[in-house]
Amino acid sequence: MSLGFWSASRRVFDLSLGEMLWSRRTIFMALVVGGPVLLAVIVRALDMFGLTALRVNGQAVGGTSVFGVLIWMLFLRFIVPVLAVFYGTALMADEVEDKTLTYLFTRPIPRGAVLVGKYLAYVTCTMLVVLPAVVLVYFLVVPFRAVPGSFTSLVTDLGLLGLGLAVYGAVFAFVGAYFKRPLVLGLVFVFGWEPTVMVLPGYLKQFTVAHYLQALVPHAMPSDGLTGLLQGFFKETPSLGASLFWLIAGTVVFLWLATRAVEHREYVLEQ
Amino acid sequence: MSKKTRYFLLVSGAILIVGLGTGLVASYLGLPVSLSSQAAGPAELQYVPPDAAVVAYANVRDVMNSEFRRRFRELEPPSTDRDQFEQKTGLDIERDIDSVVAAFMPGTDDLSARPERSAVVLARGRFEAARLEALALEHGGTAEDYKGKRLLTRLDSGKADADGMAVGFIEADLVGLGSAEAVKRAIDAGADHRNVASNNDLMRLVAELDNSNVWAVGRFDALARQARLPSEVQAQLPTVTWFSAAGHVNGGVNGVFKAEARDEAAAQNLRDVVRGFLAMARLQAGSRPGMQQMVDSLQLTGEGTTVALAFSIPSEFFDALEAMAKQRQGNGR
Repeated sequence: MSLGFWSASRRVFDLSLGEMLWSRRTIFMALVVGGPVLLAVIVRALDMFGLTALRVNGQAVGGTSVFGVLIWMLFLRFIVPVLAVFYGTALMADEVEDKTLTYLFTRPIPRGAVLVGKYLAYVTCTMLVVLPAVVLVYFLVVPFRAVPGSFTSLVTDLGLLGLGLAVYGAVFAFVGAYFKRPLVLGLVFVFGWEPTVMVLPGYLKQFTVAHYLQALVPHAMPSDGLTGLLQGFFKETPSLGASLFWLIAGTVVFLWLATRAVEHREYVLEQ
Repeated sequence: MSKKTRYFLLVSGAILIVGLGTGLVASYLGLPVSLSSQAAGPAELQYVPPDAAVVAYANVRDVMNSEFRRRFRELEPPSTDRDQFEQKTGLDIERDIDSVVAAFMPGTDDLSARPERSAVVLARGRFEAARLEALALEHGGTAEDYKGKRLLTRLDSGKADADGMAVGFIEADLVGLGSAEAVKRAIDAGADHRNVASNNDLMRLVAELDNSNVWAVGRFDALARQARLPSEVQAQLPTVTWFSAAGHVNGGVNGVFKAEARDEAAAQNLRDVVRGFLAMARLQAGSRPGMQQMVDSLQLTGEGTTVALAFSIPSEFFDALEAMAKQRQGNGR
């Protein structure tokens, strides 16, 4: 008996979530996400001893601003894209490499459902690690008395990180399903293409995810440094509505393209 | 789904739910003042009335011992007035005052009309109470007890009234100065425990200050009435609600001025205006190295509704000023 698309996706999701959570890649994810938590513990420890972790012009930077810097510089600009590259490009590539793809494709389920189920498992797995880590960082770095004034920023940040993981994940799921060397391409996109076109004038930045995510960040970018200066100079921030539209549309379109690629591509397993 | 995967989901979910729940409760139901503002600001704040619109603080000891102060002390002409004041009161401001807190309570009056009536200054240090009381009485003042605190009041037109200047000995090492009404309100605030600590907006700003030896926080409208600001800045004023300015005085002066806008769009507008000013200042400072260094140190940051401008006036800038002043003194001779 053949399962429907969404029932099949759910079955694949159940199977893949456990596999993803307890894979070697999770150790990498724990290390990447553990870095900011460790930093936050250090910031809190320094604060307890009356020392200041971050200073600008000799002036102590408050906990809320330190949290903003961690979200902007570490999570959105590094952790989210990196996790998406490593997990997204591996959704199908791992099955090919382990030569287990045959077992999935010989089941009476649509091929596209395999990718969608794995993609949903990736989103759940990464969110379950990244978002609690952000909450821990927040309560370690931001003084409790500043919580009422900054809580909405935390909620926005959590939503933004979730959206970032979903969009980048969909993009790299497509890259993984369509191209031969997806990891290299993904890394070039994240560390080559995006940072370069973000500081250039013109329309090219519209072909990045960071351009739309940046427009939603509740923490303003620091205006110092060459990159910040160039970004400020060529700043064309899209509106909130436009950013959300393009991010959601990007997720749907790339996921659809990825399912199409999986359905039509002929995978050759090396003997 | 295996058992350990379920446990993982439960633990992750629990961290998220507990974190978000705590934040939600803190944001919408509020935190007890004692919890949210614990250890925020100097102890003198317990004597600042709850309706204070602006509160300022200076660690006089730090500033007086700073390299910055030493430079200017050398340039100051000898003052007989200061010596006379010390002889009469036994008070050397540089030596005997540790810190000062000033608060403005506009109340129903317009602050700009009679600011001195709405202000109280709380100075912590070493005071000779008996000598000061004798001096006040000698000059026709009155001394009375108010809620267990000694209060010296200057007589205006032959009688003490609420507008007359007063000095209150609030603690052994803390005096309050201001109008009699303002000093009495400071004593009330301490006695009744109804003080500025209950002003969550203002205390939030105080809590954000870190290791600054001079600072001021408050409602921006209260400040704007006193300041003569450029028209471009004046046009932005209705959008600014709260401000804080904090600095650290040592060899040079480092500081940050923060303004909280009504909403994020207003904050963005204000950032654009300040950015324009910075560009103009950079152009103006192009040919003057001292100024250039100072203007280069200006950094505009901010998040959400906050606009922050950090600055650093390096000691080299004061070296140049000192050299100019000495040259002028030399020419005068």
